[in-house]
Amino acid sequence: MDVTASMYAAQAIHGIAFGMVLFLIAAGLNVIFGMMGILNLAHGAFFMLAAYFCYSVVAVTGSFWAALLIAPVLTALVGVIVERFFIRKVQIMGAMGELILTLGIAMLILGGVKFFWGTENLPISVPPILEGMVHIGALDYPIYRIFMIALALVVLAVMTLLLYKTRLGKIVRAAVSDREMVNALGINVPLVFMFVFGIGVWMAGIGGVVIAPILTVFPGLADQVGMYAFIVVVTGGLGSLKGAFIVSIIFGLLSSFGIQFFSQLAPVLIVGFMAFVLAIKPHGLFGVKE
Amino acid sequence: MIDKMKRWLPWAALIIALAFVPKIFGIYYMNFFITFAVFAVFSVSLNLLLGYTGLLSFGHAMYFGAGGYGTALALKYIWNLPLLPALSIGILGAVLLALIVCPLVVRVGGTAFAMMHMAFAQLLYVIALKSRFITGGEDGLANFRIPPFSIPGVVSFPLEGAPANFYYFAIIVLGASLWLMWFFTKTPFGQIQVGIRDNAKRIDYLGFKVTHAKAVVYIMSAAFAGVAGSVYAMFQNVVAPDGYLGLLVSFTPIINTMLGGIASFFGPVWGTAIYALIEEIIFRYTDRVELVIGIIFVLVIMYAPLGFSGLMLKLKFKWLMFKNKRMRQAA
Amino acid sequence: MKFISKGFLIALCVFSLFFLQVFNPVAAVAQKGAKTAKPPAAHPKLAEANYAFDVNAMGDMSDFDPATVQFPKGDTIKVAVVASFTGPAAIVGKIYWAAVAWAAYDINQRGGIMVDGKKKFVEVIQADHMGRLDQCKKVAERMALQEKVHVLIGTDGSHLMKVINQVADKYKIIAQNITSTSDDLMDATNFSRYAFMSCLSSSQVGSGLGYFYGQIRKKEKRFYIICQDYAFGRSIADSFKKGLKQYYPQAKIVGEDYHKLFLTDFAPYLEKIKAAKPDVIFTGDWIPDGANLVKQARQMGLKQPFAHLFLDDPNFLHEIGPQAATGNIQITQYGVEGGAFKTPEQIKYYKTWHDLWANRWKTEPYNSRLFEHGSGNLGSYRQQAYWLFSVIERAGSTDPEKIIAVWENDTYRLPTGKVLRMRACDHKVVQDLHVFEYVPAAQQKVSMNIEPYYWYKDAASTGLTWRIPAEKVMPWMDKNLERCAGKDEWGE
Repeated sequence: MDVTASMYAAQAIHGIAFGMVLFLIAAGLNVIFGMMGILNLAHGAFFMLAAYFCYSVVAVTGSFWAALLIAPVLTALVGVIVERFFIRKVQIMGAMGELILTLGIAMLILGGVKFFWGTENLPISVPPILEGMVHIGALDYPIYRIFMIALALVVLAVMTLLLYKTRLGKIVRAAVSDREMVNALGINVPLVFMFVFGIGVWMAGIGGVVIAPILTVFPGLADQVGMYAFIVVVTGGLGSLKGAFIVSIIFGLLSSFGIQFFSQLAPVLIVGFMAFVLAIKPHGLFGVKE
Repeated sequence: MIDKMKRWLPWAALIIALAFVPKIFGIYYMNFFITFAVFAVFSVSLNLLLGYTGLLSFGHAMYFGAGGYGTALALKYIWNLPLLPALSIGILGAVLLALIVCPLVVRVGGTAFAMMHMAFAQLLYVIALKSRFITGGEDGLANFRIPPFSIPGVVSFPLEGAPANFYYFAIIVLGASLWLMWFFTKTPFGQIQVGIRDNAKRIDYLGFKVTHAKAVVYIMSAAFAGVAGSVYAMFQNVVAPDGYLGLLVSFTPIINTMLGGIASFFGPVWGTAIYALIEEIIFRYTDRVELVIGIIFVLVIMYAPLGFSGLMLKLKFKWLMFKNKRMRQAA
Repeated sequence: MKFISKGFLIALCVFSLFFLQVFNPVAAVAQKGAKTAKPPAAHPKLAEANYAFDVNAMGDMSDFDPATVQFPKGDTIKVAVVASFTGPAAIVGKIYWAAVAWAAYDINQRGGIMVDGKKKFVEVIQADHMGRLDQCKKVAERMALQEKVHVLIGTDGSHLMKVINQVADKYKIIAQNITSTSDDLMDATNFSRYAFMSCLSSSQVGSGLGYFYGQIRKKEKRFYIICQDYAFGRSIADSFKKGLKQYYPQAKIVGEDYHKLFLTDFAPYLEKIKAAKPDVIFTGDWIPDGANLVKQARQMGLKQPFAHLFLDDPNFLHEIGPQAATGNIQITQYGVEGGAFKTPEQIKYYKTWHDLWANRWKTEPYNSRLFEHGSGNLGSYRQQAYWLFSVIERAGSTDPEKIIAVWENDTYRLPTGKVLRMRACDHKVVQDLHVFEYVPAAQQKVSMNIEPYYWYKDAASTGLTWRIPAEKVMPWMDKNLERCAGKDEWGE
């Protein structure tokens, strides 16, 4: 393909790659909200925590793949502890209690990260296997970003399978619809919710590990990406995985092509798109009224 | 007669104390108090929505910023603009913004309301950031002229370079705002707000238009947030996106309200005072700012969800019970 | 002819050989080459200095540790370092602290400074503005009103520096800007007699790099500009465009982009840059944006060198490896051409810091690579603090009026030999700048000319350095400022 076409193609792939990482984080957020009704304001912080865990695992074992395996699980563990000992206690207070609490947890994680890892920027490198580029005609594309897209798709596939094809998924969906009934059937509902929260955080963790080699790990990471994830979730509709997926892709492409054509207006485009959608559909594109 | 005096006495004492602050304390504490008053009014304005109407907004900074930027832009670009018009332009800016946003938000509640406001506040933040030639972008506007307080033909007090004068001006404006808001909550209209919070459907059945009522309180809340922003702009002599439209600016009144007590009018005022004290004392001696804030949030929401006022109420109740018990034991 | 004996011929050969050894034409050409490579001598107005930093007069620094240093209290000369000590930019505050505390500790070790008839010690206080406007004003006022400091030293972020200058002006104390490069800090709207900007300014960055590429390097022609979309990024980009126009009209700007602060994904921008095929990519970005930009650029196969001023964080340089940074060009206010160590004093000055770092400092972050050499911007901050103390000493007083009288038009010589001159009308510094190229360890000998002959073994660092004469990179002067009306670039 000729140069201009390959540039547009590259921009499109960039948009999709970025969108996919956003989706990983937003999906986790959505899973938690959709299943438990909690808007987890600490989600960005968990994402950042995973990136820091990734750094530590790489520092100890030297292997990015080990980090990919371990870091999200560690983060999920932290998430589960938070759910069990904190979130559960404030759920009776309704939305506001959860919002304030998760905000507090976000600050705690931010403070903790600075305490344990310091304030400097920590570097992580792309694993050697994934370095380098693919060449298709005039298109050069970094392998690592293709890996990002692939991984996100795999996670999405696994999640969907889990939710819709397994017994566990059925229980989770049932518990969301009618908690008391499921409880009456003898299933340990709090345990199910703990599990769901853990999965949501785990997905954010994967996002954090995956994006770490491209970025620098520093305490502002949560704000950088967390804000975008929220915008995606809110615009796509709280609780709608489909909405989050579509909006993530749109945002990624808007971001890419926005920069290509309207360079300086790009950030306005995204926030503007969100404000526009919310003005028409306050619950998001595919959202459900509470 | 004595009862009435008993009620008015603490207020009179407070007003006298406020009047003497500049004489007793230096500039630093005067300024500290002005900042406290600004954020107290800002937090109470948020509580009109939160505590009274049950609506949580994550973007109340929009109106604070509209007030601040409105006044700053007016003072910078309109030559020889007097003080009260400058203040009014700020408030007007906030009210206009509220009028525009109002129809979009009155139909929703809960999380949607909260997030929509976050979205709009972010949008305003990005616009302020990008419109470098008008708003000064990241750096904002600084060193604009602060006009003297003057009633033409009668009296004129300079405010620039006269910290005590500005203190009185700020206290009067902010005090009046607080009084107006308090008055509003005591009107039948204010009662409707509480009704909407508790059971909107029933209020609807009773024949009140819920969305209209919500709109009115929304605009009031925005207006007073604008007052706070406007006074703050004149106090700091600097407006910038981070200090007036950022996410932290939206979260601060929520923090203050939670700390102080969401269920009472003066709760946010207490909360602002507590938070200001924490900032002064704790932050001077530690680097771990986020940890401290996080711990406070978590502890407050888990163990004292009604904040400081709630705690006070509990203590008062316990004290009354204790007194009652003693009286009964004595009998 | 037969008279020219064999002996004579042999003597002639030997003599010729001797002649050639001493007056080798090749060597002579090389010498001449070196002579022309040597930049013209410093401008006459920067040839002499009122005060030269004397390494041999330094006090005993062997107990200095930035993490634990304590300063005397009481009747002292008080300076406050106003910066981010918490928040995402917390590392910045630590850097300033290390620099100012070093200089203050040295002064105290020498016995203090004689002011107003008494020998007083220096006390340095930390003031955390958390990166927030309201907090900055509050903390600056607290320093001025309650702690009664004599000098406010600040800070990154020109909007914050403006607030500090305002407070200094209001309460009549001195404000010293050691790092914010914004030219408008000293323009007609914002200037204050009490504020001094002892660091370089944005306008100089652009003209310096323009001069370098156009008049010294004369190779690359196509430039792409990518900066952060806010006041600093835009002013740096503007100044580079002006610099190219002035000193390198044949240059072509093939693209210009401004990205949002703290951007995560540079890929779309890098795609545009790729398509534009520049020779050099100019950026004003600082870490983390700068780090992400370069990292992602190399990952995407962009091999062009970057022209920048802030991409020198050693952690970042180690992470991307020597190849990725080799060829990058940096402009700096603390460089030196022809080897960093030409005199024993320069070696001593360097070693005093370096040995302490290597052997004594054990606390984060001071024991990290960031603080290893104490040069670059850190070196500049240390000397700016020394300059402040030298001015106070020569003023013999902490009275701001006396300090202003000494500082205006003052000249100060750094240990590197360069002279700084404080322009009286707008309190900006006139100075030579330096531009250097990043090279791998094997070639770092040309600047690190003492053991171990490299700055970093596993990362690219300073190689060849060029001097940009001060008269080519004058800081911008606001003609609307009354004090400067009708004056020339030197403020006269």
